[in-house]
Amino acid sequence: MSGPLASSSWLTIRVQFVLAAVFVVAGVSKILDPPGFAHEIHNYGLVPGIAVNAMALVLPWIEVVCGLALFLGIARRSSTRILGVLLVVFVIALGINLLRGHPVDCGCFGTAKVERTQEERLRDMKWAIARDIGLLLLVAQSLAASRREERA
Amino acid sequence: MIIAVSAAAAAASNLLAGPERKLRWIGSYAESGPGPASKAPTRPASSAPSAAVTPSTGAADGRDFPPHPDKAWVEISGDDVAALHARGNVLFLDARRSSVYRDGHIPGARSMSVWEADIDDKVRQLFSEGRDQSAPVVVYCSGGDCEDSHMLGQKLYFVGFDNVLVYKDGFPDWQKRGLPVTKGDAP
Repeated sequence: MSGPLASSSWLTIRVQFVLAAVFVVAGVSKILDPPGFAHEIHNYGLVPGIAVNAMALVLPWIEVVCGLALFLGIARRSSTRILGVLLVVFVIALGINLLRGHPVDCGCFGTAKVERTQEERLRDMKWAIARDIGLLLLVAQSLAASRREERA
Repeated sequence: MIIAVSAAAAAASNLLAGPERKLRWIGSYAESGPGPASKAPTRPASSAPSAAVTPSTGAADGRDFPPHPDKAWVEISGDDVAALHARGNVLFLDARRSSVYRDGHIPGARSMSVWEADIDDKVRQLFSEGRDQSAPVVVYCSGGDCEDSHMLGQKLYFVGFDNVLVYKDGFPDWQKRGLPVTKGDAP
């Protein structure tokens, strides 16, 4: 990520636009159905029951606010950092459930409407981890570019 | 700053949400995985409206569903569920989301989604109806690894219902059997 192209403003703007779009869409789909998202969080088996609802209510808004901030160029660095932390948390949560062979619906883009088999869910969890790692690379590019900008 | 704005937006959004989208900020979900409660939870005193009612368990169909005060719920098969439904006087509760209930449910079943904000009010209302709490209550969701019916079973157990029967294979099994389905908001 240290090459001139990797941290060019041309690329950075597009990377931030992609991050913004992904997280606004992901957040809005969850905001439309908080009980459904609470259900998905509960299924992960990692969050205490008492905190499930608060997380289901606030987390999608964090995604949307960070996405909009990136899109509008406000607090870009903080927003990117928060999205990076969220992605790491998502990868860990999916990874733990994958390791314990517990299939869950990702819940990344709202509630799954289609019933899937356990095998299909486990396979989709691997894809979700791969996608989140890809998004983490975009976060890393964006942060590296803003650091370079700051030094310049 | 971003977190504060998000929390404020979440609070406003939840305040304006309709009953199907609203969530209580504090969750009240069982943290353990599936499995009947092994220890007696805090339950209302024996002044429950049904305390003096003689439990009704057996029936003309020869199947017996005795109360199980030591377990929050017991799983039953589709055959048992069909037999209980045929009795016509057994309470059926649908633990799936209201929107899914509307698309089709077991005739006579009442909607009680554990994920919607009004669930505790609905459980309280059921309790206050003065039903025989030892009579069978069939609870179902989507079968498979769906735990909603078990969670609803726990809630009912906490208010004194000690004969909750969970339809193990749930609504998909009911449809597979070609049994009647009702659409809409009404039971």
